[in-house]
Amino acid sequence: MNRRHHVSSRHDYQLPPVNYGFIAMTFLVAMMLNLLPWGRLPAIPDFVALVVVFWSVHQPRRVGIGVGFVLGLILDVHNSALLGERALLYSLLAYGAWSMHRRAPWFSIGGQILHILPLFLAAQAVVIVARLATGAPLPAPQIFLQWVSTALLWPVADLLLLAPQRRAAARDENRSL
Amino acid sequence: MDRSPPPFHKQGHSANARVIFFALLSIALMVVDSRMNTLAGLRQGIGNVLYPAQKTAQAPRDLIAGSAEYMAEVTRLREENGELRRVEAMNARALLQVEQLAEENRQLRALAGARERATVRSVLAEVFYEPRDPYSKRLVLDKGLNHQIAAGQPVIDALGLVGQVTRVFQFSSEVTLVTDRDFAVPVQIQRSGLRTVAFGDAARDGMELRYLASTVDIREGDRLVTSGLDKLYPAGLPVGVVGPIERGGNNEIVRARVEPTANVQHDRMLVILQVDTTSVPPLPPTDDDDGGRKRGSKR
Repeated sequence: MNRRHHVSSRHDYQLPPVNYGFIAMTFLVAMMLNLLPWGRLPAIPDFVALVVVFWSVHQPRRVGIGVGFVLGLILDVHNSALLGERALLYSLLAYGAWSMHRRAPWFSIGGQILHILPLFLAAQAVVIVARLATGAPLPAPQIFLQWVSTALLWPVADLLLLAPQRRAAARDENRSL
Repeated sequence: MDRSPPPFHKQGHSANARVIFFALLSIALMVVDSRMNTLAGLRQGIGNVLYPAQKTAQAPRDLIAGSAEYMAEVTRLREENGELRRVEAMNARALLQVEQLAEENRQLRALAGARERATVRSVLAEVFYEPRDPYSKRLVLDKGLNHQIAAGQPVIDALGLVGQVTRVFQFSSEVTLVTDRDFAVPVQIQRSGLRTVAFGDAARDGMELRYLASTVDIREGDRLVTSGLDKLYPAGLPVGVVGPIERGGNNEIVRARVEPTANVQHDRMLVILQVDTTSVPPLPPTDDDDGGRKRGSKR
């Protein structure tokens, strides 16, 4: 048995495999949360981005850049934004999350937030530069606030999205393997 | 899968290759979408598939709004009712006068040989949701192709011009607000009759007039109405009120701020004027694309 693939964080080093249906359901729920009529309230977290990054860190072989791209494109249509804007953002997020998937889970939750917040901010900065190149002006700096609130939701994501695996692990803890 | 041994060699393409592929694809989409109109089909397709989910996501809000209305006390409703009756009585006189004026106007126009102004069909639409794009000021309304909405049609509220339909989906349509940076509408100053173009000013959530000569007769407080020159906006719709005027070195007017008349930020119900957009001549080809910016009257 390979150890690396079972190590999910330093607290729960043996987690059972994740259910595909569960991953799909988390994406669906995140999407619905993003579609809620938030209007122009500032600092509304981007739930889809959070889930894309979360699964790219914890299940890098299942969820990755392609998934991010497609979800981003759907949200571009919903936001009536330029097509490709959020697709680019989520592709970059998935890539960044993939590149830290061996390192970030070993940190405490606070340490993990310090990994993903810069990732969110950097990806957003790249997208702003890309928009500048297509002739858009600089957006209001409040655009970065949503990434702070998204990063602060990381512990909630950790709690909810790993719950089925943790529960299964706890139930089997006396199993002789 | 997780229990199986890890692949000895990497499977599929490396993450580096994939991120480069998808990033380039995204950027290509952005460039094409900002310069051309060719991605409308893709957008329509995704939009129509997404509609049920959007509709479901708005349900909690409608439920809350509905129950709140239901809980409203009878006294408040009665008060409101009384107030509305009073206003109605006051309006009745004005309405009678309007009818009489319209008749008079018709006769005068007939005398002058002017073409009669056709009455415009209109549809009442509700705000479906407000998109979160930081670069634009738009609203999505709950009426689309199913109500014969077409891109280009003006949108008004009780007070004045709100914007213009810019994209239409099967069951919804997107309105670019007068405060969007790409919005432009031909206007006329009511007092002096001067014709010019008002542009959206997204940074100040208002509108502005640009490039006016120093001799132009314009004052703070002047009312702007649509001039109807583009055959798209019916003439005479209130657009805004002129605010502070910025003058340059030679006393020429660099820009004049305009406060939109309509309640652009807080509307829930809007009226789409179903003008015939087919009678509008097509846009001239724009070789000198000014910084890739689309104009508000783009169709």
